[in-house]
Amino acid sequence: MSYEKKLMQMKKMIKKEPTAPTQKSSYEKPAPPLYSERWEQAGLTRIDNDFGTVFKYEVTYDEQYRHGQYALGMLDDVMMRWEEAGLTHPYATDSDETLLFFDTETTGLKGVGTHIFLLGFLERRGKNFVLTQYVLADPAHEAAMFFESKLWQREATVVTYNGKSFDWPQLQTRWTFSQGVIPRLREQRQIDLLHSSKRLWKNDLAQMKLKQVEEQKLGFVREDDIPGHLAPIIYMDAIKSGETSSLLKVLKHNEWDLLSLITLYIHLSITLFEEATNETVVAYTNVGKWYADLKQHARSEEVLTNVTQSYEAYETFTAHYYLGLQRKKRAQYDEALASFLEGRKAEDMRISLQSYEEAAKIYEHTYKAYDDAYQLTTAALQKVHIDRTLPWKSKEAFEQRLQHRLKRLMKKREIN
Amino acid sequence: MLSKKKTVDALVAAWQQDAAMAERIEAIRTIEATAATYAPLPSDMQPSLVKALHARGIEQLYTHQREAFDYAMAGQSFTAITPTASGKSYCYHLPVLQTILTNRHARALYLFPTKALAQDQKSDLHALIEAMDEEILSYTYDGDTAPGIRQKVRKAGHIIMTNPDMLHSGILPHHTKWVSLFENLQYVVIDELHTYKGVFGSHVAHVIRRLKRICAFYSSDPLFICTSATIKNPKELAESLTNTAHALIAKSGAPTGKKTFVFYNPPMLHPAFGVRRSAVLEVRDIAKQLYDAHIQTIVFAKSRVRVEMLVTYLQAFTKHQLQDTTIRGYRGGYLPSERRVIEKGLRDGEIRTVVSTNALELGVDIGQLQACIMTGYPGNIASAWQQAGRAGRRQDSALIIYVAQSTALDQYMIEHPDFFFGSEPEEARISPDNMLILMDHLKCAAFELPFRTNDLYGEFHIEELLDYLVDEHVLFKTSDTWHWMNERFPAHDISLRSAAQENVVIIDQSVPAHTRVIGEMDTYSAMTLLHEEAIYMHQGVQFQVETLDWDEKKAFVRQVDVDYFTDANLAVELKVMSEDKELVLSDAKIGFGDVSLLAQATIFKKIRFDSHDNIGSGPIHLPPMEMHTTATWLSFTPPSQLSKEQLTDVLHYVAYTINSFIPLFIHCDRADVHVVPQVKAVHNELPTIFVYDSYPGGIGLSEKVYDMWRPLLEKAREHITRCRCENGCPACIGAQATFDEPKQQAIRVMTQLRELFN
Repeated sequence: MSYEKKLMQMKKMIKKEPTAPTQKSSYEKPAPPLYSERWEQAGLTRIDNDFGTVFKYEVTYDEQYRHGQYALGMLDDVMMRWEEAGLTHPYATDSDETLLFFDTETTGLKGVGTHIFLLGFLERRGKNFVLTQYVLADPAHEAAMFFESKLWQREATVVTYNGKSFDWPQLQTRWTFSQGVIPRLREQRQIDLLHSSKRLWKNDLAQMKLKQVEEQKLGFVREDDIPGHLAPIIYMDAIKSGETSSLLKVLKHNEWDLLSLITLYIHLSITLFEEATNETVVAYTNVGKWYADLKQHARSEEVLTNVTQSYEAYETFTAHYYLGLQRKKRAQYDEALASFLEGRKAEDMRISLQSYEEAAKIYEHTYKAYDDAYQLTTAALQKVHIDRTLPWKSKEAFEQRLQHRLKRLMKKREIN
Repeated sequence: MLSKKKTVDALVAAWQQDAAMAERIEAIRTIEATAATYAPLPSDMQPSLVKALHARGIEQLYTHQREAFDYAMAGQSFTAITPTASGKSYCYHLPVLQTILTNRHARALYLFPTKALAQDQKSDLHALIEAMDEEILSYTYDGDTAPGIRQKVRKAGHIIMTNPDMLHSGILPHHTKWVSLFENLQYVVIDELHTYKGVFGSHVAHVIRRLKRICAFYSSDPLFICTSATIKNPKELAESLTNTAHALIAKSGAPTGKKTFVFYNPPMLHPAFGVRRSAVLEVRDIAKQLYDAHIQTIVFAKSRVRVEMLVTYLQAFTKHQLQDTTIRGYRGGYLPSERRVIEKGLRDGEIRTVVSTNALELGVDIGQLQACIMTGYPGNIASAWQQAGRAGRRQDSALIIYVAQSTALDQYMIEHPDFFFGSEPEEARISPDNMLILMDHLKCAAFELPFRTNDLYGEFHIEELLDYLVDEHVLFKTSDTWHWMNERFPAHDISLRSAAQENVVIIDQSVPAHTRVIGEMDTYSAMTLLHEEAIYMHQGVQFQVETLDWDEKKAFVRQVDVDYFTDANLAVELKVMSEDKELVLSDAKIGFGDVSLLAQATIFKKIRFDSHDNIGSGPIHLPPMEMHTTATWLSFTPPSQLSKEQLTDVLHYVAYTINSFIPLFIHCDRADVHVVPQVKAVHNELPTIFVYDSYPGGIGLSEKVYDMWRPLLEKAREHITRCRCENGCPACIGAQATFDEPKQQAIRVMTQLRELFN
């Protein structure tokens, strides 16, 4: 109620006037903030350009530098491997490409009023890796920061974690505010590593937060990290008070994110080449499935065959199902049937039922073995009936499909 | 079996022969059909547009459509008064399409008050574009728009049809995704302008100011085209809503069919008390006659409760038929899917009688209805005409039956049938000045684009307010600019529709394993309609509220079958906080200013169906609602001849009458203003009558009343004097007499008050 009361008191102060069309004023370069010196003392470099002030923080890493279980320099190896493999894959890169690992910190979640206050980049430069962070001096200096980032000028492949749906669109949004002041933002090739994390680990990891991925897959544990959701408050406080100690922690947080982006890219690439030693059967099965979805059928079959040969039989039922699909595609029906019969034992009810269906199809259409097909279909129906896991809708769909097949098979059995 | 089908004219003729009916029908008025006035198609109209009109058999325009076209081409924003079935959509479609045909980059934004209306207009527009054989893209953009096509809509849609809520929270805060719309926006069309009144209208006025601010950022300056039902001040409302000068097109060139108005007064039960038979019961009987005669009818009732009561009564006609759906209810609070089914049933003719609150006043396309019954006066002339317009949209003879209740305003209307035809409609008021609403949208505006020194927001100077928001850690000021600097997404915290901004969800737990949400209600109404033990009705089914979880805003109900409904009391306490205007009369004072108010639901009564007897009551335990708002008040020296008890009663009588007549002067919903008498007002210890806005911060209604005390008192006094009852009745001073000559005392006090103005 006190808010309401205050507003009622302020009512007297409101003046009105008929609106005249407003004239758009040309860009005026804002004055540097009062706390510039304090920020410089904290180790940030002040840059003044035609559009205002931006603060920069730079760190150089040797290529031998290890972040978790990988040295940064391994990036060259995996890029080379991609080139040699000649595969079509969203993560494939070639050695001509400049990879720019990119992450932002913002003052909120979405909408045009959310500011980007930190642009973080990490890239290969000569023998080293260079981390560059641009910190928004205050909201008036946004154009200065964007201009300095050179994102309007240079060409690079931008590698992010959830950047396709968050960082990049938000950058486009905020860049619009400086339209007519600085050059347009250049469109770049985007690689979003969150996408692959979801594909490979959806059955392995409870959360897809970068922090979880670091700890469980990259061998890195943060110490004295600030939680990401505090970043907005820390920045707001830093531009009000000029205080930098917490702000530096946000910079550190962003730095870890960027380092992890490199090692995550390395790790994912190695996994896609089947060379990661600490990966699970689930992840490798997902790799095989991913290649299949990309229509890289030979590669998919190769990966899945490897899975079925390298792991214990009880771990590979799902892989068998996907392998069966590949074999069926190549008309290797005997092998496909064998795989589907294995796939029936998968824990995932959907995979199991689909294996039943696929096997029944081969019996019915290829071998005209209606009794076998009938038996499998009946067994699958029983499984559906006692199931407690499927959503109602898919349960119903399975039931309908199986009943339909059963009816048809009954007819075919009578005729023959 | 003999068909009982009858025409409207035959039925009216039969009524005039029937002695009982003839006595109750106080007046019949007929509006004869009028011919159309035409103007030629504009000579520069694009050939494909002309072709499409010809294909629909249109060789010339109604005069108002041509006027609209000419204004738009001259770059003048305008507002057109458009009665139902006058071809209003051509007032905007034609200039918009013409402009797009000459400039393929041009864009238009259509705003409809509801999602349903936008959907409805879309099919109409699509058909027109198809007949033109042109590549013009029009889309609805609302919560139902599939994510897959949103990008296309944003980038390529020539015409975007949406509602103010979506514009507020889905488009403006993401304007960078709509650059091609905002850079090329040439028209903003606001359909059903008259619905933008009160709190909702005040909110929308700010949404439009934000829209204009964003257009200016992208260097566009759209024209505004508004269409409105008949109200007193369409031009003023449009200008206040859009902060833009408008031309007015007041005269429609469309023809109208014959309309017969029947003014029906329920029979008197107790002449001494002035109590008439319940209008609801009368409506039930009349609706049955129309149902039997196969005349498709819409019945309007003022409240949700009334709608549900009528549905219950009416469905009793058909209860021997299984799964009968010829009689349905339709009101806010039903789920959208339910409403779509009903709308379709009406168009198909499968539904023969529909009972509705004012939800159907809006232009939802339900095809032709032959008759309309108003259960009581809807509160203002504009609404009455809107409701009447529901009958006979596309045919010749239409029947409108007004059934009066025992209240003052209703009886006034039935005694003055010509008032309905002759008088000016009321004003529709909005108040963009409301501080709370202004502040809400100022935050949204600051989120959307930073403010710079000397920037105006709409017509407002806002530097102090922006500095206040800096103090509140919402904005951050650099040398000359205020930037948004907060984690919140302000549009999500602000709802355009409801004063209390939060709704109570109604959950049916009749079947424990299958609890389901059956509706929702704003918190202010919930205090008196969803308290524990309240009977809540939904599609004619009775539910009893078992638990009301006020903190979580959930009401748990269970289906019951009882023979009563419930009616709750709201007690109100008022304190004057500041006095902005004052008028001192010889023995009295009129004031206007800010008040603080405490409202609390106290008790409820159980009232039996049919007899409407009071058969029980109980307390309501809910926390009071506190509110700061604006009010006008009249204080006067207590008349010496009255005891304190008598004075209390007389004040209530006066307040009751005044309350009844306020809607004659300002266009508002019944619940938008309240009249509360106090024998000893806290601020001056004098007998005082308060009129306050029932929305935090006020929306300018009581401010208007401040200037109208004199005509208001005159109208009220005249009505009481003329009332034929002996000692006061619901049609004049309301409550039952508790002491001698209550009516005479009320008249004496009102005469005294009126004389103060001489």
